[in-house]
Order: sequence, then structure tokens, then C-alpha cells
Amino acid sequence: MASLKKMWRNNWVGYLFLAPWLIGFFFLGIIPIGSSLYLSFTSYDMFTPAEWTGLTNYAEIFADKKWWNSVKVTLVYVFIGAPLQLTFALAVAVLLNRGIKGLRVYRAIYYVPSLFGGSVAVAILWRQIFGGDGLINQFLSVFGIKGTNWISSPDTAIFTLIILTVWQFGAPMVIFLAGLKQVPNDLYEAATIDGAGKIKQFFKITLPLISPIIFFNLVMQIINAFQAFTPAYIVSGGSGGPLDSTLFYTLYLYQKGFTQFQMGYASALAWILLIAIAFVTALIFLSSKKWVYYQE
Amino acid sequence: MKMKALLFGLFLLTLAFGLTACSGGSENTSSDTKDEKGSNSSEKVEIRFSWWGDTGRNEVYNAIIDKFEEKHPNITVKREFGGWGDYWDKLATQIAGGNAPDVVSMHQSYVSDYARRGALLQLDDAVKNGEIDLSDFPESAVDAGKVDDKIVMIAKGITMPGWAYNTALFDELGVEYPEMDWTWDDFAAKLAELDAAIDSDDQFASPDNGGGQLEPSFRHYLRQLGKDTFTEDGKLGFEKEDLVSWWTMWDDFRKKGYIPDAETGAEYANVPLEQNMFVTGKVALTQIPANQLSLYQEQFDSGELRMVRMPVMPDGENSEYIGAAFLSITEKSKHPKEAAMFIDYFVNAKEAWELFKVNQGPPASTDGSEFVKQFLEPADQRAVSFIQETLPYAHPAPVPPQGVGEIEQAFADNYDAIAFGQVSVEEAAEAFMETAKSIVE
Amino acid sequence: METNKVSEPYRENINIHYMVNKKKIKPKGIVLHLFIIAVGILMLYPLLWMISSSFKPDSEIFKNISFLPTVFTFENYVIGWAGLSGVSFGKFFANTFFLVAVAIIGTVISCSMAAYAFARLEFAYKKIWFAIMLTTMMLPFHVTVIPQYIIFNKLDWVNTYLPLTIPKFLAGDGFFIFLMVQFIRTIPRELDEAAKMDGCGPIRLYSTLIMPLALPALITTMIFTFIWTWNDFFSQLLYIGDINLYTVALGLRMFLDAMGQNSWGAMFAMSTVSLIPLFALFIFFQRYLIEGITAGGVKG
Repeated sequence: MASLKKMWRNNWVGYLFLAPWLIGFFFLGIIPIGSSLYLSFTSYDMFTPAEWTGLTNYAEIFADKKWWNSVKVTLVYVFIGAPLQLTFALAVAVLLNRGIKGLRVYRAIYYVPSLFGGSVAVAILWRQIFGGDGLINQFLSVFGIKGTNWISSPDTAIFTLIILTVWQFGAPMVIFLAGLKQVPNDLYEAATIDGAGKIKQFFKITLPLISPIIFFNLVMQIINAFQAFTPAYIVSGGSGGPLDSTLFYTLYLYQKGFTQFQMGYASALAWILLIAIAFVTALIFLSSKKWVYYQE
Repeated sequence: MKMKALLFGLFLLTLAFGLTACSGGSENTSSDTKDEKGSNSSEKVEIRFSWWGDTGRNEVYNAIIDKFEEKHPNITVKREFGGWGDYWDKLATQIAGGNAPDVVSMHQSYVSDYARRGALLQLDDAVKNGEIDLSDFPESAVDAGKVDDKIVMIAKGITMPGWAYNTALFDELGVEYPEMDWTWDDFAAKLAELDAAIDSDDQFASPDNGGGQLEPSFRHYLRQLGKDTFTEDGKLGFEKEDLVSWWTMWDDFRKKGYIPDAETGAEYANVPLEQNMFVTGKVALTQIPANQLSLYQEQFDSGELRMVRMPVMPDGENSEYIGAAFLSITEKSKHPKEAAMFIDYFVNAKEAWELFKVNQGPPASTDGSEFVKQFLEPADQRAVSFIQETLPYAHPAPVPPQGVGEIEQAFADNYDAIAFGQVSVEEAAEAFMETAKSIVE
Repeated sequence: METNKVSEPYRENINIHYMVNKKKIKPKGIVLHLFIIAVGILMLYPLLWMISSSFKPDSEIFKNISFLPTVFTFENYVIGWAGLSGVSFGKFFANTFFLVAVAIIGTVISCSMAAYAFARLEFAYKKIWFAIMLTTMMLPFHVTVIPQYIIFNKLDWVNTYLPLTIPKFLAGDGFFIFLMVQFIRTIPRELDEAAKMDGCGPIRLYSTLIMPLALPALITTMIFTFIWTWNDFFSQLLYIGDINLYTVALGLRMFLDAMGQNSWGAMFAMSTVSLIPLFALFIFFQRYLIEGITAGGVKG
């Protein structure tokens, strides 16, 4: 009887702690989410009532050349940009964690780019660096190489954005650092005594113990990368150019919804994205059993 | 534990700081569309007015509104404003959410979508019975505010497009200034002349005006041919051949090096005014609306900026039509009478003209545009003269149909494909016509 | 855990070995330092450019590329601080501090509660709720903007701070729930067991054991909430109309207008000023990120 009581008690306690989130979900979450799902099956221009159109939006999407293009752009951004950014973040975090003099200063400095987000200053500077007469080309011309216009060539524009993401590695880096700090120092010391080199220590101690944090950063960065929106404004002013080479999925969604007054279509776009993200996330979760180690 | 207490204390401090600092009316100002419905002039009424603009414009508008409130002590005007892009995002959301301001600023590129979806109030009655007095407006200015023959917006400042050049630069290059009524042949010749005089690989005679948006350049071209971008009943107003000849002309210019290559053009496509190709000296000419002349003039240390008409066709028609910024009343406004009073004041009152001057172009009223001249800097005076000179050429220009956003996108996309060398002019034009027809027919 | 058992006998030898290792690090250290400094400059470049621009008059900002202004002026700061239409930027800062403080309190409390539930408690349908929580983060916000606006409008919350603050108390940011879940899961369960055997109930476990141990996660949450709320432009745009309620992010946007004149100098000046609190907060709190609570808690 005592253990039963305990179990019942836990149910109640669990829901008690979850209560704020549940309230938020039921009062402020479920209606917008449900509405957007409903709207995806309608033609809705925001000002007049929505008209049911069934699966028309979805059918049109799969035939939409621009959509396929935005998918391609987003996939490149997600699967190149996110891992690259995380690798940098982890590498720098590990470096900084070594107890270097002035650690605090460096950590703060490395975080500065993330504070800028998608601001106008970054847009101007990115052009100054990657533009036709930009710093990169000036640097290359010293070696006699004539660089292309990185920021406005359809082939290279997206990569300037990937570089932007990598440059803003501050946020995942901070999280990695917090995770690295949780690893007890005596583990490293003991391993050093046992004769393990730094690299072996990294792979056998550090990585496994921070794997829950790596997992978190991986999932969140991928979810965020799929929904990236502001970087596109930096390069193309929101047009997704040149030639749609920076047309992120959510940028196309925004254009369809707000500029072309096709909110039904945009809602359908959103739900397709959700399913894609959920699928990739589920895969990562499934794989986590193999490489994520919890001390539980 | 000590740390936690410290942190918590910090928050309380911040909280206290924030609370005391914004004790002047922060959390509980409720929205006001639940005011009394009466239009009785002795009852207190509150209306909301929103506009897009920069800090300069905000000062001007606030001053105008203050004067209005002085004159009508029973009406308070709540002000909302934002930058251009943000303004439209917010307005769409407000209208969709049923919470739009009473008076909104409106523009030709959006009015079709808003008016045809019933978001704007029809103002014909208000104009007819003099609530909004347009008796001094030129016909073309009133027409510019019509959609489907109903007045839905009132022009607050009008402008006309043209080509601008810097006298100092032309003097330096040894090229003669363009004529007011130059033709397309003159235009091409001028580009060639400039190209010959310009010594560097990095500078060009003119920016690329073949793509981008349907208006104003392409639309002017079509109107000279006696056609238009769209017909009154919302169908396409031109044929594929017209598009082909237009795009071929610009493609030609690109091949000859008169206009920037695609990459350079793309790089400068979204830069702020201070950095654009004309200001930085990358191109010798630029196509702008006249009301921006003074903005550009400020960027130059030497020379005078002057304007000439859009190049004309020798046997063609006049293509001009008024561009403007407008004021509308939203359909769900609970105080249409007061809103109308406000609009009337804004466009007709002398005090308003004096403050507005040429903020978005001179006032539409003929008296108004004459009146403000005395307050203007030379560049603005030139702009107003230009507008007054070209105004008589203007004739009605139907507002584009719903769904024009998609067509604009197709226009820009297909032209870019040509510019980047991916398709031929024929193919691009064909693709565009197909898309456009599927949307409007 | 195996390594725990191993560390005990060797603890006396640790100091000696550590000192030996320290000597080996030095030459590598210089190269490392140079590299870190070089990367640091890359990171700081836009900041330096922005600060230097804030001291140049508007006309010079785009013409003079160097970092040193030919005409050094404070006028941008004066103009910028004066704000808009008689409302000073100081007011915007005060408003934003208020919003941020409320957001932090709300987020830390509600998200840590939800995270605790997911990470340590058992209850029916837990996995489903967790999946739903994650999924809510996968829907692009542009399609929920209008239904949300309609809800807030019906509640009459538009043009107040309520739409920006209440959701924070309802664990609206799944990111932080997930973050804390992952951190809590790195805390060994043995500690829980020990506390439970001492008669600790679930609520006391939360406040006296888990929360202190998850301090790095809480600090991280605080830092990010501060920064993201500070920069959360779009929601503020939609729900704040009255200029007296304006925030820093909205105020900054006011200096630029694509169709009109741009007050670059003033905008850069105020952007620089607005980075100061973000930066200060970060520097102040990262100390707690370093220390955390490791050895003390583990050894119990």
C-alpha cells in the first residue's frame, strides 16, 4: 500500500510541476497551433474569412518550383551550417576550458557576434567583407587572385550565410562551457595519472560526460537552422536573392503569407516544415541511445 | 545558497528600477476601440493613426497631429508608427486581428490587396458631402486614390518619377546634361556617351532598370505604347513582344557594359540610400521619385541634382501617372466621421501644409503645393517644379489586381535569370507570361 | 561509476602530476594564445566598427572606412538619447529592463518546474507531453502570429506588456525546458536516492538539491532570456503601440526607414549603449558559469 501511495503521489506531483507549462499550452498554445493546422487546408488572405480547400495547398506546394528551391537552400544551410557551427563551438569551448589566462575575457569576446543577431550593422559589414570590392577580395588581390562577388553570386551567397552562422557560435559555446564545467576535474587528473593523453581524455571522459549537452545543442541548432529567417535579410534584404539562392524556407513562407496574402498556403508550408523537423529530430533522439550517456 | 540570494536580490533591484522608472502609465493602458460610438462633436473621441517613416517624419507628423488636436479639443489621436517593412507586417496583423487603427497610411503597391479585400472604407460619400474636401485636387490626384472606381485613399503627398543626374559629375566627364523630353534613342545614346567618358571597369552609366518591379520604368514604357501593365478589369495589359523588346534593350545595355553586371547589381540591390550606386559614384544616372531628390542632394558635396522625365517615345503617348503616399480609413473604424475630419485637416489645412512641406512630396492640393514652395530648400524646389511640370501629362493608371505580388515576383525572378545568364530573353519572357496569365485569368 | 572508484587512491599524487603537466603546456600556449587573439579580433570587428561609427557624423560613416573618425563627435549620442517625439531613450531602457526582469523570473521558475517534472518525476503520459513540448518549437512563428494576436486582442491585452510577459510564466520557451532537462539528467541519481532516504519529498528535492546543482543551467537560462527578450523585436512590434511603452529594440528600428532618411549615427550610438547591459550581464554572470557546483555536491 505504501508504494502505491507513493506512485499516486508522484502522478499528482508531476502534474503540479508541469502545471505552468500545461496552462500555457492549453490557453495560448493549442489554439494558434490548431488554427494554423486548420488554415493549412484553406485559402486565407487574412482579411476575409478562410475558405476550405482541402489538400489543394499541399498539392500546389509539391508542384512549386520555388518551394523545392527553398528546401534545397534550407537543407544545405542546416546540414552544413549547424554541424560546422557546433564543431567550432565545442572546439573553442574545450580550448577555453583548459584554464587559459584571461578566459573570461575571451569567452565574452567570442560571445559578442551572437549579440548582434541579424542587425543592420552585420548586414553592412557582411557586404563590406564579402562584396565585390570587399575585404576578402582585397586580400585575395594581394596574391593576384580575382575573387567573385561572394555575397551576390547565386553560387556562393548561401555560404556567406553559413559563415555568418558559424561566426555566431557564441550561444552553443556558452552552453558547452557550462556543460564542461560540470565534469569533475579529478576525473581528468586521475586519467592523467593513469597515463592517458589529452586526446584520449577528450574522447573517453569529456565527450561522454557532456554528451547530453551535445545532444541538446545538436537538436536545438537543427531545429533553429530549419527555421532560420533573419540571416536572409542580411544578404538579400528579404528577397531571398540572388536568384533565390538564399531563399530560406521560412522566408518563402513569410513572403507567401504576408506579402502575397496567401496565409493558407503559408500555413501548409509551416506544417510540412514541422513534420520534416520532427522527423529529423526523432532520428536524432533514436540515435541518442547509442551515444548519449546520462548519469542516471 | 548565498549566490541564489544574491541573484534574487539583483532581480528585485532591477524590477524595482524598472517599475519606478516606468511608473508613468505602463501596464494597464487598454486599447481604445471600445469608446463611445457617438460622432457628436462635444463627446470625447479617440482615434488611432498609423504611419511609416523615419525620425524626421515622426516629428513632422506629431506636430501636425498636435495642431489638429488643438483645433478639435474633443478628439485625441493616438499615434503609431514604424519603419516601412515593419509597418505593413503590423498593419496586416492588426487588420486580421480586428484591431486596426482608424486612419492608416496607404500606398499604391498595397492598396489593391487591402481595398479589394474589404479592409478600407469607401470615401466617395465623404468626399461628395465635403467632409473631405478635394475640390482643389487635380483630377489625376483624386483618381490615383481610386480602386475599382471608388475612392479608398486620399493623397497626402504626390510625386512623379524621373531620372536624376549630378551636374558636377557630368561636367567632369564632359557629357552634356540630358534633356527634359529625351527619347529612348537619346537615352541609349547618352549611356553610350557616358560609357565612353567613364574610364573604369567599376563604374557604369546607369543602373539596371529592366527588372525589379513592374513600376515605374516598365509601366511607363508600356503606357507610351498605349498599353498598360494591367487593364481596368484586371487582365494583363500587354503582349509578350512588348516584354521581349523591353528586356532585350536592357540586356543589350548590359552586354555593352553600360549597366552593371548581375552580381554587382545584386550586391547593391538592398543597400541603404547612403550606400547605393548613385551616391557612391558607381553609376552616373539614377531613376528616382522626385520627392527623394533632396535626400540624395544631401549626400553630395558638389554639384546640383536635377531631374528629367522618363525617356519618351517620339510617336508614343504620355506615360505619366501620379505616385503618392495616401491616407485611408479602415473599414472597421468606429469613428469614421472623426477620421474623415482628421484626413481633411491633414491634406487641406494651411498649418498642416506648413509643417508637412514636401515630406512625401508636395501636398496634392494645387494651392498647397504652391504654398509650400516658399519654405523649401533649392533641391526640394526643383523637385516640386519638376512635379508641377510633369503633372499635366498624367492620366489615370488603374490599380493592379489582387495577386499582383506573385506576378511582381515572377517579373523579378525571370529578369534575374536573364541577368545571370541562365536563360535567354525569349525563354524568360515566355515563362513570365505563362505565370502571369495563370494568375490573372 | 568506475572512474570514481579509481580517483580515490590517487588523490595525494594529483598535485605533483598537475604541476608537471603545467610545465609542458607553455610553448603550445603561446601559439594557442595568438590563435585565440586572432579569432577574437574577428569576433570583435563589427563591434569596433559600430562603436567607431557612433562617433562619426552621419555624413562620414559610409565615406570614411577607417576606424578613426576624422571628426570626433558626441552628437549621435545626444540625438539618439533624446529619443523620439519627446520620449527619451532612457525610458526605452527602463521599459526594456522591466520586461526583461519579469521575463527572467517567469522563465526560470516555470521552465525549471517543467524540466524537473520531465527529468525526475514519473507521471502518466510524460513522454507524450515531452514530445508535444518539443514539437511546439518546430512550427515557424509567422503562421501562429495572427491567431495569437486575435487571442490577445480578445483578452484586451494588446498595447500592454501582458502578451510579452504572461507567456514567460507559463513556460512558453521550450528551449529552456529542454536545456534544463538535459542538465538535470547529468546529475547522478545517487544523490536523489541519498536525499530521499533522508526523507526528502519531491518538492523539497527540487528546491534543495536539483536547483542548486543545476545552477549553470539556470544561469544560462537567465543570460539567454535576458538577451533574447532584449532583442525580441517582432513581438514587441506587434503588441506595443504607445511610444511610452517602447522598448530598446523598437526604438532602434525607428532610426532607419527604407523609404526615407536614416539616422545612422544615432542608431549606432544607441545600439552601442544597448549592448552595454547585455555585455555587463554576461560578464557578471559568467563567473557562476565557471564555478558551478561540482565537487562539493558530488561528494555529498
